[in-house]
Amino acid sequence: MRYGTLASVIIALVSSGVLLASEKLPDTIQFNRDIRPILSNNCFLCHGPDKGRRKADLRLDLATEAKEVIVPGKPAESELWARITSSDPDERMPAKGSKKELNSHQIALIKKWIEQGAKYEGHWAYIAPKQSALPKAKMKWGRNSIDAFVLARLQVNGLKPSAEAAKEILIRRVTLDLTGLPPTLEEVDNFLKDKNQNAYEKVVDRLLATKAYAERMTLHWMDVARYGDSSVHHADGPRTMWPWRDWVIDAYDKNKSFKDFTIEQLAGDLIPNATHSQKVATGFNRNHGTTDEGGLIEEEYRVEYVVDRVKTTGNVWLGLSLECAQCHSHKYDPISQKEYYQFFAFFNNNADKGKQSRGGNAPPMLDFVPAGKLEKQKSLDAKIKQADQKLVERKKQARPDFEKWAVAAAKKIDEKPVEPAGLFAHFPLDEFKDRKTANLANEKTEAKLEGKAKLVSGKFGGALRIEGNGYVDVKGIKLPEWNQAFSYGCWVKPDAANANGAIFSKMNEGNAFRGFDLWLQGGAPGTHLIHQWQGNAVKVVGKKKAKTKQWSHIFVTYDGTGKAAGTSVYLDGKKLAHNIEADGLSGTLQTPNTFRIGRRSNSAQANKIEIDDVRLYNRVLIAAEVAALAGNNPIAPLLAIAPENRTAKQRETLLLYYLNNIDGPYKKLLSEKRGVETELAGLNKGKVTTMIMGDLSTMRPTYLLQRGHYEHPKKDEVLKPSVPAFLPPMPKGAPNNRLGLAQWLTRPDHPLTARVAVNRYWSLLFGKGMVKSVSDFGTQGEWPDHPKLLDWLAVDFMKSDWDIKRSLKQMVMSATYRQSSRITRDLLAQDPNNILLARGPRFRLQGEFVRDNALAVSGLLNRKVGGPGVKPYQPPGLWNEVSLSGNVRFKQDSGISIYRRSLYTYWKRSAPAPSMTIFDAPTREKCMVERPRTNTPLQALVTLNDPQFVEAARHVAQRMMKEGGLTPKERVEFGYRLVTSRKPRPMVARILESAFNEELENYKKNLEAAGKVLAIGDSKRDEKLNAAEHAAWAIVASMLLNLDEVITRF
Amino acid sequence: MNPLEENELQMTRRELIFNSAKCLGGAALGSLMAPGLIAARPKTNALGGLAGVPHFAPKAKRIIMLFFSGGPSHIDTFDYKPVMRSFHGEELPESVRQGQRLTTMTSGQKSFPCVAPMFKFERKGKHGTWVSELLPHLGAMSDEITLIKSMHTEAINHDPAITYILTGTQQLGKPSFGSWISYGLGTENQNLPAYIVMISRGSGAANQALYSRLWSSGFLPSKHQGVNLRSGKEPVLFLKDPEGIDRSLRRRMLDGIAKINEEQFAEFGDPETQTRISQYEMAFRMQTSVPDLMDVSKEPKSVTDLYGKDAAKPGTFARNCVLARRMAERGVPFVHLFHRGWDHHGGLPGKLPKQCRDIDQPAAALIKDLKQRGMLDETLVICGGEFGRTIYSQGKLTRTNHGRDHHGRCFTTWVAGGGFKAGYEHGATDDHSYNITRDPVHINDLNATLLQQMGIDHERLTYRFLGLDQRLTGVEGAKVVPQLVE
Repeated sequence: MRYGTLASVIIALVSSGVLLASEKLPDTIQFNRDIRPILSNNCFLCHGPDKGRRKADLRLDLATEAKEVIVPGKPAESELWARITSSDPDERMPAKGSKKELNSHQIALIKKWIEQGAKYEGHWAYIAPKQSALPKAKMKWGRNSIDAFVLARLQVNGLKPSAEAAKEILIRRVTLDLTGLPPTLEEVDNFLKDKNQNAYEKVVDRLLATKAYAERMTLHWMDVARYGDSSVHHADGPRTMWPWRDWVIDAYDKNKSFKDFTIEQLAGDLIPNATHSQKVATGFNRNHGTTDEGGLIEEEYRVEYVVDRVKTTGNVWLGLSLECAQCHSHKYDPISQKEYYQFFAFFNNNADKGKQSRGGNAPPMLDFVPAGKLEKQKSLDAKIKQADQKLVERKKQARPDFEKWAVAAAKKIDEKPVEPAGLFAHFPLDEFKDRKTANLANEKTEAKLEGKAKLVSGKFGGALRIEGNGYVDVKGIKLPEWNQAFSYGCWVKPDAANANGAIFSKMNEGNAFRGFDLWLQGGAPGTHLIHQWQGNAVKVVGKKKAKTKQWSHIFVTYDGTGKAAGTSVYLDGKKLAHNIEADGLSGTLQTPNTFRIGRRSNSAQANKIEIDDVRLYNRVLIAAEVAALAGNNPIAPLLAIAPENRTAKQRETLLLYYLNNIDGPYKKLLSEKRGVETELAGLNKGKVTTMIMGDLSTMRPTYLLQRGHYEHPKKDEVLKPSVPAFLPPMPKGAPNNRLGLAQWLTRPDHPLTARVAVNRYWSLLFGKGMVKSVSDFGTQGEWPDHPKLLDWLAVDFMKSDWDIKRSLKQMVMSATYRQSSRITRDLLAQDPNNILLARGPRFRLQGEFVRDNALAVSGLLNRKVGGPGVKPYQPPGLWNEVSLSGNVRFKQDSGISIYRRSLYTYWKRSAPAPSMTIFDAPTREKCMVERPRTNTPLQALVTLNDPQFVEAARHVAQRMMKEGGLTPKERVEFGYRLVTSRKPRPMVARILESAFNEELENYKKNLEAAGKVLAIGDSKRDEKLNAAEHAAWAIVASMLLNLDEVITRF
Repeated sequence: MNPLEENELQMTRRELIFNSAKCLGGAALGSLMAPGLIAARPKTNALGGLAGVPHFAPKAKRIIMLFFSGGPSHIDTFDYKPVMRSFHGEELPESVRQGQRLTTMTSGQKSFPCVAPMFKFERKGKHGTWVSELLPHLGAMSDEITLIKSMHTEAINHDPAITYILTGTQQLGKPSFGSWISYGLGTENQNLPAYIVMISRGSGAANQALYSRLWSSGFLPSKHQGVNLRSGKEPVLFLKDPEGIDRSLRRRMLDGIAKINEEQFAEFGDPETQTRISQYEMAFRMQTSVPDLMDVSKEPKSVTDLYGKDAAKPGTFARNCVLARRMAERGVPFVHLFHRGWDHHGGLPGKLPKQCRDIDQPAAALIKDLKQRGMLDETLVICGGEFGRTIYSQGKLTRTNHGRDHHGRCFTTWVAGGGFKAGYEHGATDDHSYNITRDPVHINDLNATLLQQMGIDHERLTYRFLGLDQRLTGVEGAKVVPQLVE
């Protein structure tokens, strides 16, 4: 049979418009299916939800308002009818200026609708889905519920389903759909051999359990999540977000429910006691483009990022274009501008800033702990808990020892009290010999005066006065880790009341100020503890100033919790109330920079400040100890009080002093705990960070931005986070933040989330969604092809705990999915786009799978899962052509890295891999839920000429020669099966065989050319193979890799 | 239009490859179809674009856009006033600045001294248009061009501004101008891409970044994306047959592939298979047509003389101008030349002359060349950047040196050919070339006007995406500027 003739008939008819006019009107008009799309697209702009644009005070989106112009049953009396049919151009609607026009079919539909009573329905997608009973069919067909719905619809239209596809076709189809990779010949053979009823189900179960499945799903989610390895705007610098990508792979692999998948990615950081992995998940909303442009206005971009998060959340979970209401109330869907900004408020408390980095990640971010180390981390966490427990126990058990000591100590009260234990650095700054000064706690460190500074008389002996460029540089001091307690302080004497500067520090300003300092700010003591300023840091500043021109003792204790609450600032032995300027430290403080007294490494000189007696301790000193250092020894007076007269607080102070300074077992336990803490911090010290979501500690107020402009907030009303009124309210008890929002999205009566999700899964398997506009379920979106089936699947998905694998399995197990994709004459005539599903889906593989398929069949594919992006072959110069100042060069990876699956290809968003974008891969600068699917000459050039494909062909050829048998016939069959899973039809085998014979003759005559073909690609060929023969087979293999049926799943 | 409809559109395009014997009656077939299955199916025009496009008789058939990336100074090139000399070095009056937002590169500056151009100006052409000495060749063409001095944009930084002017909005993800043309009009040359991009580096300054999104098809099918023709051995990526595979072998391979694909079509009946066969054929033809396009060796010496000596060097702006003309001759509807290096925050007096030298003679030559071939009337040549630059100095103003910051409130763009008025100046700015005083033209207004010359109503060339009928000229109500055209 030849199909061309028939297709041309349809096409001719369609292009002449005949069909539009002759198309039958449905017997019963359904508002949502037939009328709403017409009104929405042509009328709502001026007669819809947006008050600002509304004309003639008429709304056609609400039945109550539209009754002014519609008389049910009577088109002739309806103004609406009169206006859309008027011959007066000034009267006729849609108005001239709108550039909209109704065709005769649409007008006929409206007429019939009015005749039938002009019934309105709420927009279908805004009403929670219900599972209707399975339709009863007249014929026996089908394997599960999906088929019942499909069959019913087919029968209404007088169609029959197609037969099941041949087994070879089916296994290739389902393997490509579920994993993005082709089945191996062994897998095909096993399936063919397996005559059990559940042979196919076994294949499906096997596929769903592979990492390849998780990778395939992740690749789709990377489009949705606008994932990239670069920052997009301006310099488009590198970033590391692959830990987030690997989180997604793991989530799909472990079949995390869509509910948790949602909650963790949108709000993992807000889950109480969030785990490392839950925080990594929130990278979802850090994947958007960020800028580093010199002239930017930070707030403009910060708002832009929030806008992106709202848009992405709307498109992906709700299937709504919320972003339309950024500047004005939505023209089509019932979302007011105010509601938009209330939704915006969920994301508007973001801690990330407008200006981000061109060289790596920007805060908030996390030191990434790879899965392998996570177990170790857990065990160390447990050890620390145990150590704490032991310390508590020792505190109890030490009572008798303490009592004994207290009695003895009370007798020796005149003696100088013991120095607080744990001193690891102590600079009295009394004298400088050859510019060197002593560290009494550790003789190995070298402290040397650099530049000009004055030695003056100090609190005790000498002291250092910072002037000009002087400071003391100390080598060999190791800071504690961020998760370890330590304390530090000294005496200071500033000239000015508002003195500023770093009294001492160990800090790398160049690496986001990593390190720490003791700090005077406007005369008040404070401290910075920084992993990365300022998203990952603690900064507190006391609320009282040091005296001028007098000695004050300033001191800081930090308890290793990473919180401002665990940080205390003392002035003259008294704890100060403090302001918190950064609150959240969870990364190393280590820097290669030296410890410096009098400044940071290169800045924040403590100018005109005198400094004396610098001390650092490796634990939290108790208040009494700090007071002792400040010269008000409170221990001695406590000891002087008779034990029975001491208050509980006094006893506690003495006890803590005893434990930390005197008690051997307690001190030993402390030091053991410190060892575990060091080990734990070491785990986190890997260079890899990943960006995460973080909120500010004080809520940033949200205002409506007039015309969507960051510069024009409407400040008369602060907007609280909330969800649009036409959707269900927030669940009871849900927090009013992102976490609550995520819980709201996954509440069981949400009309959109589950429908949108199952529709997306459907589109992965069937090539298009049941709602074709996969990211628009609003009134401008498409009417679902199978509304009842969609609802049934959506409810089923929720009922089964949002189980993604189960949902996909249900779809691929259906007889609908398993049909042959052969297009018969009748089917092409009746349903050219396969809306009714009387045949199986057939469509081109997405770009990544075209490449992965070639790598897989050639045996080159490197199956390593996860890790940083890789750089396979790419034509030279592409990065440099667009790069800022022209010095960003692409450097191809070598070795087996270049044969990884395409989802791992490094994604530079200003110049993404061309062999992917030519096959419709989006740049991923914005969320893209569904890709277009085109068929272009440039695609042919990729699969014919890209070295990756030429090299793959050479390896397919090698396999044909080594594994395919001895005769050309056998080898052709092997090769063809390798790439299609089927045996070639005789005609096809003949074409390939004669191609081999012809090219063999040619290459025999031109061995040089054979050598050239075989030299393409980094991998080696098996030199034992005859070159001419190998080259000829490589040509055949290249033809195979370019066949329509190879780059198509059918 | 959504991707599925695009698929349908391709089906209609396949009409060409089917013979139309054995027709069934239209009515009979119509009754076979279930209601709702084929609603609102788009159709194609003769060039593979949308049916009904052009919407009306076009004045121009193609666009050549010369885009100077970085923001050329309008003050130092075309928008000069002698009075500037009188307030050189004086503070920018607040009455001029009017609290307008500045980029954060200069918003912290304490002083905003005005700078008169450090170049000579002469009046050129019948209207006495002021043109900088840096642009002698273009100055001589002033009677051929429409000079729009009142262009404006809201964006003040490169990335958003360049995205805005080329896609109609500062948000990412929208198709570029050329993609819209490819999508709407199609192309008469099936052997070359409809939208071609070429990039050259500026010799005067460091180059601001570009992004492939600037020629991306956004949500339109990727076949409408700009194809970057490069200056090396492989002007189109993956164009060259691999080493060891000659043309005749490639021909034999394609024949074999086509035969097997025909078998596949016979078995499955998917029209997409037929399309693939024809796309492989087009790829084969492109492998010849592109090198032929790029081979300027047969251009007479008079032509290379016209474009200047740089035209001998592949990858230069001059060479790209020669190629642009060759593409115009071959029916490519949108040619997009990027020239980089126009971002002069400092050292402007040293950098700008080099940049101008790169483009002056070739751009003027392109107009002359098109005109002498009788093609200027049907070709729109647009020339400009994403914004202009400030009258005040960025950084310190010295006797010989200064910089200028970004300025979106007004800048100058010129257009030649395609029905634009020859020898016409449109709009005006104040003495400081800071604010527009007459006839503002928003960047989207100009794009709307360009589309009109191409026979396109900018409000009707739309594509449904995320619930909205998207278009090149944004949602803010861009308007055609009738004064610009004949």
